[in-house]
Amino acid sequence: MEISDLFQVSIDFSQSHLFFPRIIHWLLLIMALMILLFEGIPYLREVRSGRKSLPFTTGSFDSKRVFGTLLLTILYFVSMPYVGELFPNTGLGFLLMSIPYMFALSVLYLHQHDRAHLLRVGLNALIAPVVAWYILAKLFAITLP
Amino acid sequence: MKKTMIGIALATCGIFGLASATASADTSFPNNLRIVIGSKSTGGDTYQNTAIVAEALARKLGINVKVDAVGGSTAFNTISRVSNGSVIMMFHDQAYLGYLYGQKGYENPFEAYRIGPSVAINPGNAYLVSKNSPYKNVEELMTACAGGTDIRVAIQPGGVSEIGYSAMKNAIRIQHPGREGCLVAVNRGSQSDKNQAMFDGLADLINGSVQANEQYTRLPADDQKAMRFVWLTAGNATIQQANPEGMGETTREMLLQYVDPNVSVTQDGSRNFTFDKEFFFLFNKEMDQKLVDELDQALTEIFAEGQIQQTQKRSFFIPDFRPSAESEAYFRDKAAQYEVILKSLQ
Amino acid sequence: MEFLSALDLIYFVLVLSGTLIGIIFGAIPGMTATMAVAVCLPLTYALDLNHGLALLLGLYVGGISGGLVPAILLNIPGTPSSITTTFDGFPMTQKGEGERALKIGIVSSLFGGLFSAAVLFFFAPLLADFAIKFSFVEKFLIIFLALTVIASLSSNLLMGLFSALIGIWLSLIGTYSVEHGGNGDTRLMFGFMQEYLYDGFSLLPVLIGLFGVAHILEEAEKGIHEATKDMQLSLQKGARFSVGVFRNQKINLIRSSFLGTFIGLLPGVGGSAASVLSYTQEKNFSKHPERMGKGAPEGVIASEAANNGLTGGALIPLLSLGIPGDSTTAVLIGAFTLQGIQVGPLFIGENVATWNTMMVGLVAANFMMFLVMFFAIKYIAKVVMVPKYVLYPIIMMMCVVGAYAINYGVMFDVWTLLLFGVGGYLASKFGIEVAPLVIGFILGGQAEVYFVKSLESFGTLTIFFTKSPIAMVLWVFIFISIGFSIYQAVKARRLKQAGKGEEA
Repeated sequence: MEISDLFQVSIDFSQSHLFFPRIIHWLLLIMALMILLFEGIPYLREVRSGRKSLPFTTGSFDSKRVFGTLLLTILYFVSMPYVGELFPNTGLGFLLMSIPYMFALSVLYLHQHDRAHLLRVGLNALIAPVVAWYILAKLFAITLP
Repeated sequence: MKKTMIGIALATCGIFGLASATASADTSFPNNLRIVIGSKSTGGDTYQNTAIVAEALARKLGINVKVDAVGGSTAFNTISRVSNGSVIMMFHDQAYLGYLYGQKGYENPFEAYRIGPSVAINPGNAYLVSKNSPYKNVEELMTACAGGTDIRVAIQPGGVSEIGYSAMKNAIRIQHPGREGCLVAVNRGSQSDKNQAMFDGLADLINGSVQANEQYTRLPADDQKAMRFVWLTAGNATIQQANPEGMGETTREMLLQYVDPNVSVTQDGSRNFTFDKEFFFLFNKEMDQKLVDELDQALTEIFAEGQIQQTQKRSFFIPDFRPSAESEAYFRDKAAQYEVILKSLQ
Repeated sequence: MEFLSALDLIYFVLVLSGTLIGIIFGAIPGMTATMAVAVCLPLTYALDLNHGLALLLGLYVGGISGGLVPAILLNIPGTPSSITTTFDGFPMTQKGEGERALKIGIVSSLFGGLFSAAVLFFFAPLLADFAIKFSFVEKFLIIFLALTVIASLSSNLLMGLFSALIGIWLSLIGTYSVEHGGNGDTRLMFGFMQEYLYDGFSLLPVLIGLFGVAHILEEAEKGIHEATKDMQLSLQKGARFSVGVFRNQKINLIRSSFLGTFIGLLPGVGGSAASVLSYTQEKNFSKHPERMGKGAPEGVIASEAANNGLTGGALIPLLSLGIPGDSTTAVLIGAFTLQGIQVGPLFIGENVATWNTMMVGLVAANFMMFLVMFFAIKYIAKVVMVPKYVLYPIIMMMCVVGAYAINYGVMFDVWTLLLFGVGGYLASKFGIEVAPLVIGFILGGQAEVYFVKSLESFGTLTIFFTKSPIAMVLWVFIFISIGFSIYQAVKARRLKQAGKGEEA
């Protein structure tokens, strides 16, 4: 066997979609082991000795705002195409759902719920989607939900 | 707070009213029709052809028609889901060739969807060799193959680009049984990759198109990039209908040299294989017959007026209108013929 | 001088409006130059070729340039090629130098744009012949060279490389597309996901998810506290823009513009690789590599000069081979065919007048981009003063628009946004680094095709070393790049230890 044979690679076209992912899988595995060895174990040792803490347990965590954002966004994404199908290809699903979504998100993020702030937020929630919808969906005929 | 909410509600109602008030065209199609196409490119032939048809339809039906280049998989998914006629699809022979070649993401279009009217042919599907290639024509290439020389053909696998290659392989199988293995596919993607395969000396023959490769055929022979047409898969009658100027400096007469019967790639020993890349609509299986009829009617009128044919020919498309029923029967037959070829090669 | 007749007032008005619209598209996260051109393509039906091109060239230049605005001010790349602009641009904004960063970016963009226009004008056919010398082997090495940036970009080498691999892995999900010469089979997913993941995750939703949505979630975690007052102060606090910044950056400017142009002219390699590559090179050759990524003007210069250098570069294969250099120029082909003109190797020679008007348009678009942006910046930079409770909902909404529109109406792309937003937010807690991950994601697909196709054609790994002199030169660059990263890592560690020593 010659040395050049060592570098010979033949790829079966019908299986070629798996060739590169396989290489990446091996590299990922090797890297994961190295990280465990050089980073993970020393890290855990420090956690045990109390010098460092596990992720997620540091700093303040405003669960209301994080989960609120997630919940609102999921509702927004689910309702958009649903409402959109009622008015096919007009982008109204986007427009009609963006207004309450933006308003709710703003209110969630607000720290002072006084009249002036709410008015500002309400106007923003109204104007921004209408402008976006009008320019993009109407003027440029971009497909929106 | 209350005032804001009322304001929002009022404004919302206003927009509602605006949107619903504008629907007034006398068609059962919604006011905003969306045509999804099986290609993700807005620079390609599918988009261009669809844009021409969409514009004519919009004028005829008095509605907005929008073309969205979402690509094959998404387009098929969309028309499977939406049956109310607000989304229809335009694609070409790839719709069933993808299925025949067993590509992921393709279903049998005759069962999964409804075949709509055909509108145009792109007659440009071509095969080219390098200008200084020892092979003058398709016959020499196939003879070389029969003699045991490997002929490498750069194609995009799994569809329109491969069908000509499959036909050649089939012809070799018929004329020189057992030798078809010498015709080897070099699987490449875009036109640029296929050209590059030739420049790199990795392919003897490449799939290309009259549109994209015509200028390469006019380069001087000492240019590394120079190419020569050897075969256009379109039917003779198809090319006959093109404008006499042809494409670029290559006239229709010159193009006809590379078409059946001047180039012979046998399909079954008695007649020559040809392939026209045809564009047609696809609908959701459940779409209302009334809508299908309306679209057929609108296109019949559009093609009777004669304007669209000129636009199509100017962009090197050949007009090719068939109403839905006729179209479906035609494509079923076409697909069955190619299926025989592909089966015989397995 | 036949072409002068085409240059009427309307021509320049069209260039200007194209540039304006382009900048707006580029500045909206998720809206790209490609989309701007595609959306306005139908408008050109009504125009003749020269006027149509005026509009489209304006859109192209404007769209590529506009991407720097959200990259610098909001840490969201407006277009994929402005990804490296965020690395130094956003830290500058945080230091109160947003306006300065924008101005630096715009001047670099102008330079890159004009540089590439000049290259296009004088060397197009010559370079086209050079470009076809790059087969898959050489293109793989270029991608590999761009990937070496990961080593010097990550704050922890192991985690950085791991993150990049995850990025590459994510980019492989879906089909091995026949459009790139693959076999069209799916991998890395289950059958039921095919409906959504056939085409894999789209780049733009992934980008704006990782940068935009993840950032909003991080802020939400901290409770969205306004810092507007400080911002207002800090707007004036930071260093002001002066041309002096460029005094030591001549080589950087020219090298980055050149790299942008060069990557642009290689069909298929694409825009993002250009700015990544030039950012890598700047980091390797910089006298203060440790400053890069922490708000160094040279990072912004490298990134922006390169991505505008791309414009002229990508037009080279389009106009002298008939092959688009990037996704935007692919749409431009449509504009030509609609006017009955086919681009190809003979285009320039046979359409001298069109060619000349195009060049004028390209140069004009660059200058108009500069003027529009330079004078608008004072106002644009105030975006950072908009309170977060107003700004974030707007960003979310625009991200949705961009994600939905990028593939002309696919709802899954919107979900991708959230998926990667949450994923990026969680991953950063485990030490996964976003920048290497994104670069892996951007370059992964190309790396695969070029690597696998090279082996398919030649059947041996040695081909990567022996294919051509170009390949060997690229290896030299790769070794230099890796060598520099190791050298820098060692130096940084030594500095750190020295620092610790002093503390003790």
